[in-house]
Amino acid sequence: MLHLLTIDLKKLTSYRTFWVVVGLYFITLGFTTASGMEFLKWLASKGAEFGSVIKINRIPLYHFPDIWQNLIYISGFFKLILAFMVVISVTNEFTYRTIRQNIIDGLSRTEFLLSKIFTNVLLSVLSCVMIFLIVMVTGLIYTPDLELSYLFTDIGFLGAYFLEIFAFLSYTLMLGLLIQRSGLTIVILSLSFMIEFIIKANIDDYVAWAIPFFPMESISNLVAIPFPRYVFQEIQDYVSISSVAIVLCWTVAFNYLSYLKLKKSDL
Amino acid sequence: MQTVLSVKGLTKNFGKLCAVNQLNLEVKAGQVFGMLGPNGSGKTTTLGMLMGVTNPSAGEFSWFGEAPSHTIRKRIGAVLEHPIFYPYLSGQKNLELNATIKQADPANIAKVLEVVELTARKDDKYKTYSLGMKQRLAIASALVSDPEILILDEPTNGLDPMGIAEIRQIIKRIAADGKTIILASHLLDEVQKVCTHYAVLRKGQLVHSGPVDDVGRGEELVEVNAYHDDLALILQKFEGAKSVKKEGANYAVQMNDGFHSHDLNKFLFNKGIVVSYLATQKKSLEKQFLEILADNKK
Repeated sequence: MLHLLTIDLKKLTSYRTFWVVVGLYFITLGFTTASGMEFLKWLASKGAEFGSVIKINRIPLYHFPDIWQNLIYISGFFKLILAFMVVISVTNEFTYRTIRQNIIDGLSRTEFLLSKIFTNVLLSVLSCVMIFLIVMVTGLIYTPDLELSYLFTDIGFLGAYFLEIFAFLSYTLMLGLLIQRSGLTIVILSLSFMIEFIIKANIDDYVAWAIPFFPMESISNLVAIPFPRYVFQEIQDYVSISSVAIVLCWTVAFNYLSYLKLKKSDL
Repeated sequence: MQTVLSVKGLTKNFGKLCAVNQLNLEVKAGQVFGMLGPNGSGKTTTLGMLMGVTNPSAGEFSWFGEAPSHTIRKRIGAVLEHPIFYPYLSGQKNLELNATIKQADPANIAKVLEVVELTARKDDKYKTYSLGMKQRLAIASALVSDPEILILDEPTNGLDPMGIAEIRQIIKRIAADGKTIILASHLLDEVQKVCTHYAVLRKGQLVHSGPVDDVGRGEELVEVNAYHDDLALILQKFEGAKSVKKEGANYAVQMNDGFHSHDLNKFLFNKGIVVSYLATQKKSLEKQFLEILADNKK
Protein backbone atom coordinates (compact mmCIF):
# COMPACT_ATOMS: atom_id res chain seq x y z
CA MET A 1 0.00 0.00 0.00
CA LEU A 2 2.78 2.38 0.95
CA HIS A 3 4.58 1.37 -2.24
CA LEU A 4 1.62 2.44 -4.38
CA LEU A 5 1.13 5.68 -2.46
CA THR A 6 4.83 6.48 -2.94
CA ILE A 7 4.45 6.02 -6.70
CA ASP A 8 1.59 8.49 -6.96
CA LEU A 9 3.22 10.99 -4.61
CA LYS A 10 6.42 10.88 -6.66
CA LYS A 11 4.35 12.02 -9.64
CA LEU A 12 2.77 14.86 -7.67
CA THR A 13 5.36 16.28 -5.31
CA SER A 14 7.60 17.61 -8.10
CA TYR A 15 4.59 19.07 -9.90
CA ARG A 16 4.20 22.79 -9.34
CA THR A 17 0.45 22.80 -10.15
CA PHE A 18 -0.09 20.27 -7.37
CA TRP A 19 1.43 22.57 -4.75
CA VAL A 20 -0.44 25.60 -6.08
CA VAL A 21 -3.86 23.93 -6.04
CA VAL A 22 -3.42 21.98 -2.82
CA GLY A 23 -1.80 25.01 -1.16
CA LEU A 24 -4.71 27.17 -2.29
CA TYR A 25 -7.14 24.62 -0.90
CA PHE A 26 -5.60 24.39 2.56
CA ILE A 27 -5.03 28.15 2.85
CA THR A 28 -8.63 28.97 1.85
CA LEU A 29 -9.95 26.23 4.09
CA GLY A 30 -7.87 27.42 7.03
CA PHE A 31 -8.60 31.12 6.66
CA THR A 32 -12.32 30.75 6.10
CA THR A 33 -12.97 28.41 9.00
CA ALA A 34 -10.68 30.21 11.44
CA SER A 35 -11.87 33.74 10.71
CA GLY A 36 -15.60 33.38 11.46
CA MET A 37 -15.35 35.28 14.74
CA GLU A 38 -13.45 38.12 13.13
CA PHE A 39 -16.16 38.30 10.47
CA LEU A 40 -18.85 38.49 13.14
CA LYS A 41 -16.95 41.25 14.91
CA TRP A 42 -16.74 43.18 11.66
CA LEU A 43 -20.44 42.60 11.11
CA ALA A 44 -21.17 43.83 14.62
CA SER A 45 -19.11 46.99 14.15
CA LYS A 46 -20.90 47.70 10.89
CA GLY A 47 -24.19 47.07 12.63
CA ALA A 48 -23.23 49.45 15.43
CA GLU A 49 -22.77 52.20 12.85
CA PHE A 50 -26.40 51.78 11.91
CA GLY A 51 -27.50 51.72 15.52
CA SER A 52 -28.34 48.03 15.82
CA VAL A 53 -26.61 45.96 18.45
CA ILE A 54 -25.47 42.45 17.66
CA LYS A 55 -24.17 40.61 20.67
CA ILE A 56 -21.74 38.30 19.00
CA ASN A 57 -20.98 36.38 22.15
CA ARG A 58 -24.59 35.27 22.17
CA ILE A 59 -23.95 33.38 18.92
CA PRO A 60 -22.00 30.27 19.98
CA LEU A 61 -20.46 29.74 16.54
CA TYR A 62 -17.11 28.65 17.95
CA HIS A 63 -18.30 27.11 21.20
CA PHE A 64 -17.79 23.44 21.95
CA PRO A 65 -19.59 21.31 20.95
CA ASP A 66 -21.42 23.40 18.26
CA ILE A 67 -18.13 24.26 16.59
CA TRP A 68 -17.71 20.77 15.11
CA GLN A 69 -20.81 20.88 12.96
CA ASN A 70 -20.46 24.61 12.18
CA LEU A 71 -16.91 24.48 10.86
CA ILE A 72 -17.23 21.12 9.16
CA TYR A 73 -20.37 22.21 7.34
CA ILE A 74 -18.51 25.26 5.97
CA SER A 75 -15.40 23.19 5.12
CA GLY A 76 -17.47 20.92 2.92
CA PHE A 77 -17.80 23.67 0.29
CA PHE A 78 -14.09 23.70 -0.46
CA LYS A 79 -13.84 20.07 -1.52
CA LEU A 80 -14.35 21.16 -5.12
CA ILE A 81 -10.85 22.72 -5.16
CA LEU A 82 -9.35 19.48 -3.95
CA ALA A 83 -11.35 17.62 -6.59
CA PHE A 84 -9.80 19.81 -9.31
CA MET A 85 -6.41 18.50 -8.25
CA VAL A 86 -7.64 14.92 -8.56
CA VAL A 87 -8.99 15.70 -12.03
CA ILE A 88 -5.63 17.14 -13.11
CA SER A 89 -3.72 14.23 -11.62
CA VAL A 90 -5.79 11.55 -13.36
CA THR A 91 -6.37 13.23 -16.73
CA ASN A 92 -2.63 14.04 -16.99
CA GLU A 93 -1.99 10.31 -17.06
CA PHE A 94 -4.09 10.14 -20.22
CA THR A 95 -2.84 13.30 -21.95
CA TYR A 96 0.80 12.32 -21.35
CA ARG A 97 -0.15 8.64 -21.94
CA THR A 98 1.91 7.83 -18.84
CA ILE A 99 -0.77 5.40 -17.63
CA ARG A 100 0.26 3.24 -20.59
CA GLN A 101 3.92 3.36 -19.63
CA ASN A 102 3.07 2.67 -15.95
CA ILE A 103 1.34 -0.55 -16.99
CA ILE A 104 4.17 -1.50 -19.37
CA ASP A 105 6.64 -0.90 -16.54
CA GLY A 106 4.88 -3.50 -14.44
CA LEU A 107 2.05 -1.84 -12.51
CA SER A 108 -1.19 -3.80 -12.74
CA ARG A 109 -4.31 -1.84 -13.68
CA THR A 110 -5.71 -2.44 -10.21
CA GLU A 111 -2.51 -1.18 -8.63
CA PHE A 112 -2.66 1.95 -10.76
CA LEU A 113 -6.21 2.63 -9.55
CA LEU A 114 -5.26 1.86 -5.94
CA SER A 115 -2.37 4.33 -6.10
CA LYS A 116 -4.90 7.05 -7.04
CA ILE A 117 -7.41 5.91 -4.39
CA PHE A 118 -4.74 5.95 -1.69
CA THR A 119 -3.87 9.52 -2.63
CA ASN A 120 -7.57 10.37 -2.26
CA VAL A 121 -7.51 8.81 1.21
CA LEU A 122 -4.43 10.82 2.09
CA LEU A 123 -5.97 14.11 0.89
CA SER A 124 -9.14 13.34 2.88
CA VAL A 125 -7.14 12.52 6.01
CA LEU A 126 -5.11 15.72 5.66
CA SER A 127 -8.33 17.75 5.37
CA CYS A 128 -9.58 16.10 8.56
CA VAL A 129 -6.34 16.82 10.41
CA MET A 130 -6.50 20.44 9.27
CA ILE A 131 -10.08 20.87 10.47
CA PHE A 132 -9.35 19.03 13.73
CA LEU A 133 -6.51 21.45 14.51
CA ILE A 134 -8.58 24.52 13.61
CA VAL A 135 -11.52 23.31 15.70
CA MET A 136 -9.22 22.66 18.66
CA VAL A 137 -7.40 26.00 18.50
CA THR A 138 -10.37 28.28 17.74
CA GLY A 139 -12.68 26.33 20.06
CA LEU A 140 -10.28 26.67 22.97
CA ILE A 141 -9.89 30.38 22.26
CA TYR A 142 -13.56 31.31 21.88
CA THR A 143 -15.48 28.91 24.16
CA PRO A 144 -16.18 30.96 27.31
CA ASP A 145 -16.83 28.37 30.03
CA LEU A 146 -15.02 25.36 28.73
CA GLU A 147 -16.23 22.02 29.92
CA LEU A 148 -13.92 19.22 28.91
CA SER A 149 -16.77 16.77 28.54
CA TYR A 150 -18.12 18.83 25.62
CA LEU A 151 -14.80 18.85 23.80
CA PHE A 152 -15.26 15.68 21.77
CA THR A 153 -19.01 15.04 22.04
CA ASP A 154 -19.61 15.91 18.38
CA ILE A 155 -16.38 14.57 16.94
CA GLY A 156 -18.52 12.13 14.95
CA PHE A 157 -18.90 14.94 12.42
CA LEU A 158 -15.20 14.61 11.65
CA GLY A 159 -15.80 11.02 10.53
CA ALA A 160 -18.70 12.19 8.38
CA TYR A 161 -16.43 14.88 6.95
CA PHE A 162 -13.84 12.28 5.98
CA LEU A 163 -16.51 10.27 4.21
CA GLU A 164 -17.85 13.40 2.50
CA ILE A 165 -14.43 14.31 1.05
CA PHE A 166 -13.46 10.75 0.16
CA ALA A 167 -16.79 9.97 -1.50
CA PHE A 168 -16.59 13.15 -3.56
CA LEU A 169 -12.99 12.48 -4.59
CA SER A 170 -13.97 8.92 -5.56
CA TYR A 171 -16.70 10.39 -7.76
CA THR A 172 -14.13 12.79 -9.27
CA LEU A 173 -11.64 10.00 -9.93
CA MET A 174 -14.32 8.00 -11.70
CA LEU A 175 -15.35 10.97 -13.86
CA GLY A 176 -11.69 11.60 -14.74
CA LEU A 177 -11.15 7.99 -15.76
CA LEU A 178 -14.32 7.94 -17.84
CA ILE A 179 -13.87 11.30 -19.58
CA GLN A 180 -10.04 11.44 -19.66
CA ARG A 181 -10.00 15.14 -20.59
CA SER A 182 -9.42 17.69 -17.86
CA GLY A 183 -11.57 20.54 -19.20
CA LEU A 184 -14.69 18.49 -19.81
CA THR A 185 -14.26 16.61 -16.54
CA ILE A 186 -14.07 19.86 -14.55
CA VAL A 187 -17.16 21.23 -16.30
CA ILE A 188 -19.20 18.08 -15.66
CA LEU A 189 -17.93 17.85 -12.10
CA SER A 190 -18.92 21.43 -11.37
CA LEU A 191 -22.34 20.94 -12.97
CA SER A 192 -23.02 17.69 -11.09
CA PHE A 193 -24.88 19.43 -8.29
CA MET A 194 -26.95 21.48 -10.70
CA ILE A 195 -27.81 18.56 -12.96
CA GLU A 196 -28.86 16.55 -9.94
CA PHE A 197 -30.87 19.50 -8.65
CA ILE A 198 -32.83 19.74 -11.90
CA ILE A 199 -33.58 16.01 -11.83
CA LYS A 200 -34.65 16.18 -8.20
CA ALA A 201 -36.91 19.17 -8.83
CA ASN A 202 -38.68 17.29 -11.61
CA ILE A 203 -39.33 14.07 -9.74
CA ASP A 204 -40.12 15.75 -6.43
CA ASP A 205 -43.88 15.24 -6.76
CA TYR A 206 -43.77 11.61 -7.81
CA VAL A 207 -40.98 9.78 -6.03
CA ALA A 208 -39.96 12.07 -3.19
CA TRP A 209 -38.65 9.09 -1.20
CA ALA A 210 -35.89 8.57 -3.80
CA ILE A 211 -34.31 11.97 -3.31
CA PRO A 212 -32.04 11.10 -0.34
CA PHE A 213 -30.52 8.35 -2.47
CA PHE A 214 -29.06 10.72 -5.06
CA PRO A 215 -25.25 10.79 -4.88
CA MET A 216 -24.63 14.53 -4.44
CA GLU A 217 -27.68 14.87 -2.21
CA SER A 218 -26.53 12.07 0.08
CA ILE A 219 -23.02 13.52 0.30
CA SER A 220 -24.50 16.90 1.32
CA ASN A 221 -26.80 15.19 3.82
CA LEU A 222 -23.87 13.81 5.82
CA VAL A 223 -23.38 17.10 7.64
CA ALA A 224 -26.63 19.07 7.76
CA ILE A 225 -26.72 22.87 7.73
CA PRO A 226 -26.34 23.96 11.37
CA PHE A 227 -27.02 27.71 11.36
CA PRO A 228 -30.84 27.78 11.53
CA ARG A 229 -30.50 26.63 15.15
CA TYR A 230 -29.41 30.15 16.05
CA VAL A 231 -32.76 31.47 14.95
CA PHE A 232 -34.49 28.79 17.02
CA GLN A 233 -35.23 26.31 14.28
CA GLU A 234 -35.01 22.57 14.50
CA ILE A 235 -31.89 21.17 12.82
CA GLN A 236 -30.36 17.76 12.37
CA ASP A 237 -27.48 17.99 14.84
CA TYR A 238 -26.24 14.42 14.39
CA VAL A 239 -24.86 12.26 11.58
CA SER A 240 -27.65 10.01 10.38
CA ILE A 241 -26.75 6.38 9.89
CA SER A 242 -28.89 6.10 6.77
CA SER A 243 -27.02 8.84 4.92
CA VAL A 244 -23.68 7.29 5.96
CA ALA A 245 -24.87 3.97 4.56
CA ILE A 246 -26.02 5.54 1.29
CA VAL A 247 -22.75 7.43 0.81
CA LEU A 248 -20.72 4.33 1.60
CA CYS A 249 -22.60 2.46 -1.12
CA TRP A 250 -21.97 5.25 -3.61
CA THR A 251 -18.26 5.35 -2.71
CA VAL A 252 -17.90 1.64 -3.34
CA ALA A 253 -19.87 2.00 -6.58
CA PHE A 254 -17.73 4.89 -7.86
CA ASN A 255 -14.48 3.09 -7.22
CA TYR A 256 -15.82 -0.18 -8.62
CA LEU A 257 -16.92 1.57 -11.82
CA SER A 258 -13.44 3.08 -12.10
CA TYR A 259 -12.04 -0.42 -11.75
CA LEU A 260 -14.34 -1.84 -14.45
CA LYS A 261 -13.54 0.99 -16.84
CA LEU A 262 -9.79 0.60 -16.35
CA LYS A 263 -9.95 -3.18 -16.65
CA LYS A 264 -11.73 -3.12 -19.98
CA SER A 265 -10.06 -0.32 -21.87
CA ASP A 266 -7.12 -0.49 -24.26
CA LEU A 267 -4.67 2.09 -23.01
CA MET B 1 17.82 -22.65 -25.78
CA GLN B 2 15.20 -21.37 -23.38
CA THR B 3 12.04 -20.02 -24.96
CA VAL B 4 11.50 -16.51 -23.69
CA LEU B 5 8.32 -15.64 -25.49
CA SER B 6 5.76 -17.92 -27.02
CA VAL B 7 2.71 -16.55 -28.83
CA LYS B 8 -0.19 -18.69 -29.98
CA GLY B 9 -3.07 -17.53 -32.13
CA LEU B 10 -2.93 -13.97 -30.84
CA THR B 11 -5.71 -11.85 -32.37
CA LYS B 12 -6.90 -8.29 -31.92
CA ASN B 13 -9.96 -6.78 -33.54
CA PHE B 14 -10.73 -3.07 -33.40
CA GLY B 15 -14.36 -3.17 -34.44
CA LYS B 16 -14.35 -4.56 -37.97
CA LEU B 17 -10.64 -4.05 -38.43
CA CYS B 18 -8.48 -7.04 -37.63
CA ALA B 19 -5.19 -5.51 -36.49
CA VAL B 20 -3.49 -8.76 -35.55
CA ASN B 21 -4.69 -12.07 -36.95
CA GLN B 22 -3.81 -15.49 -35.49
CA LEU B 23 -0.20 -14.62 -34.76
CA ASN B 24 2.24 -17.36 -33.75
CA LEU B 25 5.78 -16.49 -32.67
CA GLU B 26 8.63 -17.88 -30.65
CA VAL B 27 11.56 -15.89 -29.32
CA LYS B 28 14.44 -17.68 -27.66
CA ALA B 29 16.94 -16.41 -25.12
CA GLY B 30 19.80 -14.40 -26.57
CA GLN B 31 18.13 -13.62 -29.88
CA VAL B 32 17.92 -10.13 -31.28
CA PHE B 33 14.54 -10.51 -32.85
CA GLY B 34 13.43 -8.04 -35.52
CA MET B 35 9.74 -7.50 -36.19
CA LEU B 36 9.33 -6.09 -39.66
CA GLY B 37 6.31 -4.80 -41.41
CA PRO B 38 4.97 -1.76 -43.18
CA ASN B 39 3.27 0.94 -41.13
CA GLY B 40 -0.02 -0.32 -39.75
CA SER B 41 0.91 -3.99 -40.05
CA GLY B 42 0.16 -4.64 -36.37
CA LYS B 43 3.62 -4.48 -34.81
CA THR B 44 2.76 -2.02 -32.06
CA THR B 45 -0.63 -3.64 -31.40
CA THR B 46 1.15 -6.98 -30.94
CA LEU B 47 3.68 -5.49 -28.56
CA GLY B 48 0.87 -3.65 -26.74
CA MET B 49 -0.86 -6.96 -26.10
CA LEU B 50 2.38 -8.58 -24.97
CA MET B 51 2.89 -5.71 -22.50
CA GLY B 52 -0.63 -5.73 -21.06
CA VAL B 53 -1.88 -2.37 -22.35
CA THR B 54 -4.07 -3.78 -25.12
CA ASN B 55 -6.54 -6.54 -24.31
CA PRO B 56 -6.29 -9.40 -26.86
CA SER B 57 -9.49 -10.49 -28.61
CA ALA B 58 -8.30 -14.08 -28.78
CA GLY B 59 -5.23 -16.24 -28.40
CA GLU B 60 -2.62 -16.48 -25.71
CA PHE B 61 1.03 -15.88 -25.00
CA SER B 62 3.52 -16.67 -22.29
CA TRP B 63 6.70 -15.03 -21.02
CA PHE B 64 9.38 -17.39 -19.69
CA GLY B 65 6.79 -20.17 -19.94
CA GLU B 66 4.50 -18.42 -17.46
CA ALA B 67 1.10 -16.84 -18.00
CA PRO B 68 1.42 -13.05 -18.42
CA SER B 69 1.13 -10.93 -15.28
CA HIS B 70 2.31 -7.54 -14.08
CA THR B 71 5.10 -9.16 -12.03
CA ILE B 72 6.55 -10.67 -15.20
CA ARG B 73 6.40 -7.29 -16.92
CA LYS B 74 8.82 -5.98 -14.31
CA ARG B 75 11.43 -8.33 -15.80
CA ILE B 76 10.97 -6.78 -19.24
CA GLY B 77 12.16 -3.36 -20.33
CA ALA B 78 9.92 -1.92 -23.01
CA VAL B 79 9.37 1.26 -24.95
CA LEU B 80 6.43 1.20 -27.33
CA GLU B 81 6.05 3.81 -30.06
CA HIS B 82 7.44 7.12 -28.85
CA PRO B 83 9.00 7.74 -25.43
CA ILE B 84 6.48 8.43 -22.66
CA PHE B 85 7.47 10.41 -19.58
CA TYR B 86 6.12 13.05 -17.21
CA PRO B 87 7.16 16.28 -18.98
CA TYR B 88 7.37 18.31 -15.77
CA LEU B 89 9.78 15.86 -14.09
CA SER B 90 13.51 15.78 -14.71
CA GLY B 91 15.12 12.81 -16.45
CA GLN B 92 16.46 11.66 -13.10
CA LYS B 93 13.04 11.90 -11.38
CA ASN B 94 11.34 10.09 -14.25
CA LEU B 95 13.81 7.24 -13.96
CA GLU B 96 13.33 7.18 -10.17
CA LEU B 97 9.63 6.74 -10.78
CA ASN B 98 10.25 3.93 -13.28
CA ALA B 99 12.60 2.25 -10.84
CA THR B 100 10.01 2.50 -8.04
CA ILE B 101 7.34 0.91 -10.22
CA LYS B 102 9.69 -1.84 -11.33
CA GLN B 103 11.01 -2.22 -7.78
CA ALA B 104 14.51 -1.93 -9.19
CA ASP B 105 17.66 -0.91 -7.36
CA PRO B 106 17.86 2.93 -7.49
CA ALA B 107 21.63 2.59 -7.85
CA ASN B 108 21.01 1.45 -11.45
CA ILE B 109 19.79 4.92 -12.42
CA ALA B 110 23.26 6.46 -12.52
CA LYS B 111 24.51 3.48 -14.50
CA VAL B 112 21.86 3.59 -17.22
CA LEU B 113 22.17 7.36 -17.53
CA GLU B 114 25.83 6.75 -18.24
CA VAL B 115 25.00 4.08 -20.85
CA VAL B 116 22.81 6.47 -22.82
CA GLU B 117 25.10 9.45 -22.15
CA LEU B 118 22.53 11.64 -20.43
CA THR B 119 24.25 12.15 -17.09
CA ALA B 120 25.01 15.80 -17.82
CA ARG B 121 21.35 16.63 -18.51
CA LYS B 122 19.72 14.40 -15.89
CA ASP B 123 18.39 17.25 -13.73
CA ASP B 124 16.76 19.13 -16.60
CA LYS B 125 13.05 18.74 -17.14
CA TYR B 126 12.05 16.10 -19.67
CA LYS B 127 10.14 18.64 -21.77
CA THR B 128 13.38 20.48 -22.52
CA TYR B 129 14.97 17.39 -24.10
CA SER B 130 15.57 16.98 -27.83
CA LEU B 131 13.96 14.03 -29.61
CA GLY B 132 17.21 12.08 -29.59
CA MET B 133 17.60 12.63 -25.85
CA LYS B 134 14.02 11.53 -25.27
CA GLN B 135 14.65 8.31 -27.20
CA ARG B 136 17.81 7.73 -25.21
CA LEU B 137 16.02 8.34 -21.91
CA ALA B 138 13.42 5.80 -23.02
CA ILE B 139 16.14 3.21 -23.54
CA ALA B 140 17.56 4.12 -20.12
CA SER B 141 14.15 3.58 -18.50
CA ALA B 142 13.84 0.21 -20.21
CA LEU B 143 17.25 -0.77 -18.87
CA VAL B 144 16.78 0.51 -15.33
CA SER B 145 15.60 -2.79 -13.88
CA ASP B 146 18.43 -4.69 -15.61
CA PRO B 147 15.78 -6.66 -17.54
CA GLU B 148 16.27 -10.02 -19.23
CA ILE B 149 14.38 -8.86 -22.30
CA LEU B 150 14.33 -5.50 -24.00
CA ILE B 151 11.50 -4.48 -26.32
CA LEU B 152 12.16 -1.51 -28.57
CA ASP B 153 9.59 -0.18 -30.97
CA GLU B 154 11.04 2.03 -33.71
CA PRO B 155 13.84 3.25 -31.45
CA THR B 156 15.41 5.39 -34.16
CA ASN B 157 12.20 6.93 -35.45
CA GLY B 158 12.67 10.59 -36.31
CA LEU B 159 16.35 10.74 -35.43
CA ASP B 160 19.13 12.28 -37.51
CA PRO B 161 21.86 9.97 -38.90
CA MET B 162 24.10 10.65 -35.90
CA GLY B 163 21.33 9.83 -33.47
CA ILE B 164 20.50 6.67 -35.39
CA ALA B 165 24.12 5.54 -35.26
CA GLU B 166 24.26 6.25 -31.51
CA ILE B 167 21.11 4.25 -30.75
CA ARG B 168 22.39 1.39 -32.93
CA GLN B 169 25.64 1.35 -30.98
CA ILE B 170 23.71 1.20 -27.71
CA ILE B 171 21.56 -1.69 -28.99
CA LYS B 172 24.62 -3.62 -30.14
CA ARG B 173 26.33 -3.09 -26.78
CA ILE B 174 23.24 -4.35 -24.95
CA ALA B 175 22.95 -7.36 -27.28
CA ALA B 176 26.61 -8.15 -26.64
CA ASP B 177 25.71 -8.46 -22.93
CA GLY B 178 23.58 -11.47 -23.88
CA LYS B 179 20.19 -9.83 -23.43
CA THR B 180 17.25 -10.86 -25.57
CA ILE B 181 16.01 -7.96 -27.66
CA ILE B 182 12.79 -7.63 -29.61
CA LEU B 183 13.09 -4.80 -32.10
CA ALA B 184 10.13 -3.60 -34.11
CA SER B 185 11.04 -1.51 -37.09
CA HIS B 186 10.24 -0.72 -40.67
CA LEU B 187 13.88 0.18 -41.32
CA LEU B 188 15.16 -2.99 -42.95
CA ASP B 189 18.72 -1.90 -42.98
CA GLU B 190 18.53 -1.45 -39.22
CA VAL B 191 17.17 -4.94 -38.64
CA GLN B 192 19.79 -6.48 -40.93
CA LYS B 193 22.55 -4.70 -39.06
CA VAL B 194 21.57 -5.58 -35.52
CA CYS B 195 19.21 -8.59 -35.56
CA THR B 196 19.85 -12.32 -35.52
CA HIS B 197 16.28 -13.34 -36.32
CA TYR B 198 13.34 -11.65 -37.92
CA ALA B 199 9.65 -11.97 -38.62
CA VAL B 200 7.61 -10.14 -41.22
CA LEU B 201 4.08 -8.98 -40.52
CA ARG B 202 1.60 -7.83 -43.09
CA LYS B 203 -1.93 -6.67 -42.30
CA GLY B 204 -1.71 -8.38 -38.93
CA GLN B 205 -0.52 -11.69 -40.28
CA LEU B 206 2.83 -13.37 -39.92
CA VAL B 207 4.11 -13.95 -43.44
CA HIS B 208 7.68 -15.02 -42.75
CA SER B 209 10.09 -15.72 -39.94
CA GLY B 210 13.64 -17.02 -39.79
CA PRO B 211 17.27 -16.19 -39.07
CA VAL B 212 18.74 -13.06 -40.66
CA ASP B 213 21.77 -15.07 -41.83
CA ASP B 214 19.53 -17.02 -44.23
CA VAL B 215 18.71 -13.86 -46.13
CA GLY B 216 21.90 -13.84 -48.19
CA ARG B 217 21.78 -17.54 -49.02
CA GLY B 218 20.52 -19.15 -52.20
CA GLU B 219 21.06 -17.91 -55.72
CA GLU B 220 23.75 -15.37 -56.32
CA LEU B 221 23.55 -12.40 -58.57
CA VAL B 222 26.80 -11.45 -60.28
CA GLU B 223 27.40 -8.20 -62.09
CA VAL B 224 29.97 -8.42 -64.80
CA ASN B 225 31.47 -6.30 -67.60
CA ALA B 226 34.26 -6.71 -70.15
CA TYR B 227 35.48 -4.97 -73.28
CA HIS B 228 33.84 -7.36 -75.69
CA ASP B 229 31.04 -6.70 -78.14
CA ASP B 230 29.23 -10.05 -77.86
CA LEU B 231 29.46 -10.37 -74.13
CA ALA B 232 25.72 -10.91 -73.73
CA LEU B 233 25.67 -13.82 -76.13
CA ILE B 234 28.70 -15.43 -74.57
CA LEU B 235 27.25 -15.06 -71.06
CA GLN B 236 24.08 -16.82 -72.14
CA LYS B 237 26.16 -19.83 -73.15
CA PHE B 238 27.53 -20.12 -69.60
CA GLU B 239 25.92 -23.19 -68.04
CA GLY B 240 25.73 -21.52 -64.63
CA ALA B 241 23.67 -18.61 -65.91
CA LYS B 242 19.96 -18.71 -65.21
CA SER B 243 19.30 -15.37 -66.80
CA VAL B 244 21.28 -12.44 -68.13
CA LYS B 245 20.04 -8.89 -67.96
CA LYS B 246 21.64 -5.64 -68.92
CA GLU B 247 21.73 -3.31 -65.95
CA GLY B 248 23.24 0.02 -66.75
CA ALA B 249 26.63 -0.53 -68.35
CA ASN B 250 26.98 -3.97 -66.77
CA TYR B 251 25.31 -7.32 -67.17
CA ALA B 252 23.54 -8.90 -64.22
CA VAL B 253 23.84 -12.67 -64.27
CA GLN B 254 21.45 -14.64 -62.09
CA MET B 255 23.43 -17.74 -61.17
CA ASN B 256 22.13 -21.29 -60.94
CA ASP B 257 22.52 -23.09 -57.60
CA GLY B 258 26.10 -24.12 -56.92
CA PHE B 259 27.68 -21.61 -59.31
CA HIS B 260 29.64 -18.68 -58.04
CA SER B 261 31.37 -15.62 -59.40
CA HIS B 262 34.72 -17.39 -59.75
CA ASP B 263 33.13 -20.02 -62.03
CA LEU B 264 31.90 -17.25 -64.28
CA ASN B 265 35.30 -15.58 -64.25
CA LYS B 266 37.02 -18.85 -65.23
CA PHE B 267 34.51 -19.46 -68.02
CA LEU B 268 35.11 -16.03 -69.52
CA PHE B 269 38.88 -16.35 -69.15
CA ASN B 270 38.80 -19.65 -71.02
CA LYS B 271 36.95 -17.88 -73.81
CA GLY B 272 39.77 -15.38 -73.91
CA ILE B 273 37.80 -12.57 -72.30
CA VAL B 274 39.25 -10.60 -69.43
CA VAL B 275 36.63 -8.99 -67.20
CA SER B 276 36.87 -5.33 -66.32
CA TYR B 277 34.24 -5.51 -63.57
CA LEU B 278 32.98 -8.38 -61.43
CA ALA B 279 30.84 -8.07 -58.30
CA THR B 280 28.71 -10.48 -56.28
CA GLN B 281 25.48 -8.94 -55.06
CA LYS B 282 24.31 -10.37 -51.75
CA LYS B 283 20.58 -10.26 -51.53
CA SER B 284 19.67 -7.56 -49.03
CA LEU B 285 16.97 -7.91 -46.44
CA GLU B 286 15.21 -5.10 -48.24
CA LYS B 287 14.93 -7.15 -51.42
CA GLN B 288 13.89 -10.22 -49.49
CA PHE B 289 11.30 -8.20 -47.59
CA LEU B 290 9.79 -6.74 -50.73
CA GLU B 291 9.74 -10.20 -52.31
CA ILE B 292 7.99 -11.66 -49.28
CA LEU B 293 5.41 -8.91 -49.29
CA ALA B 294 4.93 -9.21 -53.04
CA ASP B 295 4.49 -13.00 -52.77
CA ASN B 296 1.84 -12.58 -50.15
CA LYS B 297 -0.13 -10.06 -52.12
CA LYS B 298 -0.94 -12.70 -54.72
